[in-house]
Amino acid sequence: MCGAPTWAPSRCARDAGAAMTLIAQQILLGLLLGGLYGLAAAGLSLVFGVLKVLNVAHGELIMLGGYGAFWLFALLGWDPFASLLVVIPGALLLGAVLYLLLFGFVVRAHEEIRIKNSLLVGFGLALSLHALAVRLWTADDRSITTSYGGAVISLGDLAIPLIRLLSLAIALALIGGLHLLLARWRWGKAIRAAAEDWQAALLTGIDVRRAYLLAFAIGTALAGAAGTLVSVGYSISPSIGLEWTLKALIVVVLAGLGSMLGTFAAGLLVGVAEAVSATIFGGPYREVVGLIIFFVVLVLRPQGLFGRSTR
Amino acid sequence: MRAWTLAILLALALLTPLPLLVAREDVINFVLLVLLSITLAQSWNIIAGYAGQVNLGHAAFFGLGALTTRTLWIGGVPVLLALGAGAAVAVVFALLVGGAAFRLRGAYFAIGTLALGEILRTTVSNALPEISTLPEGSIAGYRLAQRYYLALVLAALSVVVVATLAGSRLGLGMQAVREDEGAAEASGVAALGLKLRALALSTGLAGAAGGLFAYYHISYYPSHPFGPQWTFEALLMTYIGGVGTLHGPVLGAVLYVFLKEYLTVRWVDFHLLIFGVLFIAIVLIFPGGLVQAAEGAHRWLTRRRGRRR
Amino acid sequence: MLEIRGLEAAYGDVRVLSSVSLTVGPGEIVALLGPNGAGKSTLLGCVAGLVRPRAGSVSWEGEDLRKTSPHLIVERGIAMVPEGRRLFASMTVEDNLDLGAFSARARAARRQSLERVLTLFPDLAARRRQLVGALSGGQQQMVAVGRALMASPRLLMLDEPSLGIAPQLVRAILDALVEINRAGVAVFLVEQNVRAALTLAHRAYILEGGRVAGEGRAAALLEDAHVRRAYLGPLAVRP
Repeated sequence: MCGAPTWAPSRCARDAGAAMTLIAQQILLGLLLGGLYGLAAAGLSLVFGVLKVLNVAHGELIMLGGYGAFWLFALLGWDPFASLLVVIPGALLLGAVLYLLLFGFVVRAHEEIRIKNSLLVGFGLALSLHALAVRLWTADDRSITTSYGGAVISLGDLAIPLIRLLSLAIALALIGGLHLLLARWRWGKAIRAAAEDWQAALLTGIDVRRAYLLAFAIGTALAGAAGTLVSVGYSISPSIGLEWTLKALIVVVLAGLGSMLGTFAAGLLVGVAEAVSATIFGGPYREVVGLIIFFVVLVLRPQGLFGRSTR
Repeated sequence: MRAWTLAILLALALLTPLPLLVAREDVINFVLLVLLSITLAQSWNIIAGYAGQVNLGHAAFFGLGALTTRTLWIGGVPVLLALGAGAAVAVVFALLVGGAAFRLRGAYFAIGTLALGEILRTTVSNALPEISTLPEGSIAGYRLAQRYYLALVLAALSVVVVATLAGSRLGLGMQAVREDEGAAEASGVAALGLKLRALALSTGLAGAAGGLFAYYHISYYPSHPFGPQWTFEALLMTYIGGVGTLHGPVLGAVLYVFLKEYLTVRWVDFHLLIFGVLFIAIVLIFPGGLVQAAEGAHRWLTRRRGRRR
Repeated sequence: MLEIRGLEAAYGDVRVLSSVSLTVGPGEIVALLGPNGAGKSTLLGCVAGLVRPRAGSVSWEGEDLRKTSPHLIVERGIAMVPEGRRLFASMTVEDNLDLGAFSARARAARRQSLERVLTLFPDLAARRRQLVGALSGGQQQMVAVGRALMASPRLLMLDEPSLGIAPQLVRAILDALVEINRAGVAVFLVEQNVRAALTLAHRAYILEGGRVAGEGRAAALLEDAHVRRAYLGPLAVRP
């Protein structure tokens, strides 16, 4: 740019400024998306940390949450942010059912077999849910466009889409709420105890099965919420399941287990990292960079995948 | 198992004259698809069944085989050579990355390979977005029978490889790895070496299957064979048939392709829903798949007959 | 009253307990002694519901415990302090104690229980907000005992409470056990430190190779020749 033969200083500065704004804009958008990554990952992290169950159908649960919001909007005209009030309890219920019918049986085995079986069961579940979604709702992309959908808040040269900003705020609120729940609520502490040492938890009088049920339900609820936010800020289709499962896995690998806030922060980081790599390598390769980082971190982490902060 | 090997090879031998007896192309295409599926399923079976690792990125090797074979063959290399190269490329890639990936255990290996598969698919999809079509001359000279015989040979090869593997010391060693990684390591079995050898055989077969795919299809998107559905299908077929057995994946492949072709008419992905649910049932109830269920039924029947006497 | 009759337990093919019978009466302190690997922890595990026995019966106040879930056994009035403490290291002293009173019955008496625990172990009062991971071995043991007490048990079981703890703190914990027992709680104690255990207990059983090799009043066992040779001799653990 600035090396052109007719070198005009003011134009050079303007070009550089424009480029800076572009990058800043991309990073901002990456941050907004990263909040959803963090929310998606939180649910997966909770379930894996507590139950030692790797639910690879987590992305499909996000997808279902998205469709829930979409149909509430398309059929009843509900604002998607309002429909969270229905999607979240609905997802809680779904999570409880899935635990009772499926994952509750998986947790009976000891840890190594448990993780492997949960992976397989999750895989079967993902496949089934995907096929069901395609049958019910076709493979088309869906998105919710509200009346205020195009609204944008201007911060200097940056344009912040209102919906995505609201989504980030909600994601943050949900994560914060989850953190408080785990720290202060009696059953939240029970969940943490069961995660750390389920036998000691049993000896303390905690019904570990019930704690598992709650954790799984909450994890599903978070997935549902993430799905709702995805459907309004971006778009959904039956195929987003695998994509979001991978995203969640990437964030969890980077963050490690144990802290919901840390997971959220890692989500933001991944969002920004993707945006930066898209700017450098070009749009289509943004996915690849994230996956490569994931693979490398996975292999290099000496404690295996999730370094435990406790014991 | 010797009996099953011979039975399957016999069945394959009986299928040899099919193109001469049947004029309908759709029948030949169907059987070819079954044979391709058998090869792919058996290739996945090697790592999963005998070495106990769930490889969720298997499509990467299928895709690499397809890509290499296609590129070389269209470039004028004789197809069998191109096929061999395809298998070789798949193996080399596997050994390069596999060493790293195999440091992971169990589920971590699974999600690591899942990511790997997606990395390749996305990269190829971006680097080669245009459809790959055979040049005019090749289309004119297209003989389905040639593809058919290649598929037959590959299917037979995959069965023989698995049969030899299961009986050999290599196979037994891998079974030990499957049973208990820690103990196997302790008892002096060089787990890593065995796993790498399993990886080579598995990915080589998958690469060859990919080569067949490239030779068979007239036009397709280069990233298509890298898609996760190829992995998932191999996984489903093997598990439902009976992972770690010789005839399980064969049974599973036949059943799967059958259901897929006949259910597609009314409900596009219905077969996936059925198989998804069946798969869950198998993981939780019948880890040995249909083979185990069949053996159980057989035992129950013979027991009843005995009692009546 | 805890009654164990003909208990058999095994891990796979390895027989760990054979025909074990013993009782712990209300208000008693009973010690379970024996060499490593004799099956003492397994026995406690059977009572607490973590280990499923192959045969025999475990009954508490007339009720068969064998099919009961561990957390329900706590509800019935039996609390265990496991070997190695097994506290929740990522949580505070306060949280660990609070979780001890998780069962419905214990929740009702939570406030009094906490007071009693802090009176018993004044050291903990100052450290309420500290993470248990930061405490010394002896202090952690106090938290572990306190956590079990929060369950308002009628029977308190302890698996090797003196293991890896400085002698002065062992003294404090054993004294606390006396206090606890005086308040009406029966104590069933597995202990390596034979002399200390026999000084503390009313009765004791000796488990060797998964079988009951001896039993009797603690004072009598202290004098017993075999016991002296095997467990109190020059090679035995010193108090």
